[in-house]
Amino acid sequence: MIRLDGVALALGSFRLHDVSLEIPSGGYGLIIGPTGSGKTSLLECIAGHVAPASGRIALNGRDVTAEPPERRGIGFVYQAYHLFPHHSVRENIAYGLARRGRGHEAAARKRVEDLAALFGIGPLLDRGIRGLSGGEQQRVALARALAPRPGILLLDEPLAAVDPALRRTLRRELRQIQAQEGVTVLHVTHDVEDALRLGDEVAVLADGGVIQRGPPEEVFRYPKTPFVAQFLDAGNVLRGTVTRQGPSEGDPPRFAATFRTGGLVFDVVAEREGATHVLVRPEDLLITRDPVVGPPRNRFGARIERLERRGPVTLAHLDASGTPLVASITSQTAEELGLAAAMTVAVGLKATAVHLF
Amino acid sequence: MEGNDAAGAREAGSGGPHPAGRGIFAPVAARIGWFRLGSVLLGALLVLFVVGPLLRLLLGAPASELAGALLDAEVRDAIVLTVLTASAATVLAVVLGVPLAYALARLRFPGSRLVRGILDLPIVIPHPVAGIALLLFLGRHSPVGGVLARMGLEVVSHVPGIVAAMLFVSAPLLVNGAREAFASVDPKLERVARTLGDSGWMAFRRVTLPLAARGILAGALLAWGRAVSEFGAIVILTYHPKVASVLIFDRFTLYGLSAAIPAAVLLLLVALGVFLLLRVLEPAEER
Repeated sequence: MIRLDGVALALGSFRLHDVSLEIPSGGYGLIIGPTGSGKTSLLECIAGHVAPASGRIALNGRDVTAEPPERRGIGFVYQAYHLFPHHSVRENIAYGLARRGRGHEAAARKRVEDLAALFGIGPLLDRGIRGLSGGEQQRVALARALAPRPGILLLDEPLAAVDPALRRTLRRELRQIQAQEGVTVLHVTHDVEDALRLGDEVAVLADGGVIQRGPPEEVFRYPKTPFVAQFLDAGNVLRGTVTRQGPSEGDPPRFAATFRTGGLVFDVVAEREGATHVLVRPEDLLITRDPVVGPPRNRFGARIERLERRGPVTLAHLDASGTPLVASITSQTAEELGLAAAMTVAVGLKATAVHLF
Repeated sequence: MEGNDAAGAREAGSGGPHPAGRGIFAPVAARIGWFRLGSVLLGALLVLFVVGPLLRLLLGAPASELAGALLDAEVRDAIVLTVLTASAATVLAVVLGVPLAYALARLRFPGSRLVRGILDLPIVIPHPVAGIALLLFLGRHSPVGGVLARMGLEVVSHVPGIVAAMLFVSAPLLVNGAREAFASVDPKLERVARTLGDSGWMAFRRVTLPLAARGILAGALLAWGRAVSEFGAIVILTYHPKVASVLIFDRFTLYGLSAAIPAAVLLLLVALGVFLLLRVLEPAEER
């Protein structure tokens, strides 16, 4: 359990005021916020590296506000992993087990090997950390943080430095390992997809405080403030159902499918069936004025609710059979098409541009 | 080869102001340009200027004379004294300077810039001036020197005076080296160690110190070399017992150049030994 009560921080020119949040034991909490919103400082404060100006921090029911980092029972993974360069992979993972003393060497050794197996880095154990790939370093850093069995795991943008394909795999692993180790996680990110895919609870941090918190889906669907809406403006997040249309192929296995939300049906490429979220980026929606004819293969009619001009880009707020969508087009195109509010247009979308998560 | 040179000369000629060519430099200049060639030639002059005298000194002392110098008890004692006092000064600099270097690298405290400035002072002060300042500060009739004397520690004209002079001129090198070494260790590594259960001291000992060790060692060797080579401050503070540099100066003024050479060569060899050790350590640090 992680509980922050009115935590305030002042570091140089930047400050956080009154951050309160609670993540139940075994929960996965996310803090999402723009760069420079103080996410890392907040984590360092929870870990005990920086003292809060006011407020209380409780971990697993114990007030640790005055405790040094080593007595908080926390594992910490930085964005750049910060593996100890003078130690091998094995020594890195075993670092937090070294002080247990005589009689515990065998147990420590076993713990290191179990974690290495869990993360699939067994063959790397006796290598130095130079030359490890980003994904390997990330796994070593996670194993090192988990080795002393902390009740709490703090993750500072742990997926930001790996490429998108690996990020998906690591996300799945993170959840799996969290469940297996029974650790309470607080994960800081600026990636909307992390929040939707990983979090039980998400808090949006900006302007020195938590602007909104709640289950990710709720926060994304019903942003409380224009800032949250704008910040989460990664695209149109829709909830619906995936139905298989073809056989699985490739690695990871994916298949052709349809996604249904409200009155809309898209062709998509999916990894699993059933209820899911999709993300449709506004720039992937193509607007034309041709009438929609034939089977609506990712082409559907929509009504323009309003046009929002942002310099060279215009956002078209659409109503597609009751589903709100935002499309972004160049302002030049908007003028050429003569778009205006209340007009009915055709909207096209490539199946591969629909992002399922 | 000839053909290549001719081609090179033509190329240089077409680019340079004097198409007639510039003898042996033209082919090289064609490849790297006159500006770089000029830099290399000027630099080579300076390197020769450093190497030349040292080689002349090393070659100027026949082996028999070197052996003779080693048998000369006064020379031997001076070199042993120099090595021991320089080592003592270095140990003192490490004990007092490493914690300071860590504080300067990690903490932002009021006046930290001032402290750094003060520590650089001994580098710009002429060494006899430093010697006179130390003499005034540590002499028997000064408050500090008086207290030390009552405690049984005679500084001026005794061995501690040598160590004091060496410490004064060499400590900044150690502190600067160690500060840079500490600054190059990411503080987040220490923070990770703390969350893994280390106290502040343990995280320093297990992470920061091992990672900075090479840099600190290089700083210590530099300081040691500086201490061995000190003359100006020592000769004012403690003329006798004589360290090697004082003895060499003594021989030179009393008996002339040839009498000073064997001891000078020996001291040079000691200094070169340290220098080589330093070079062995440094490249690994840069990697």
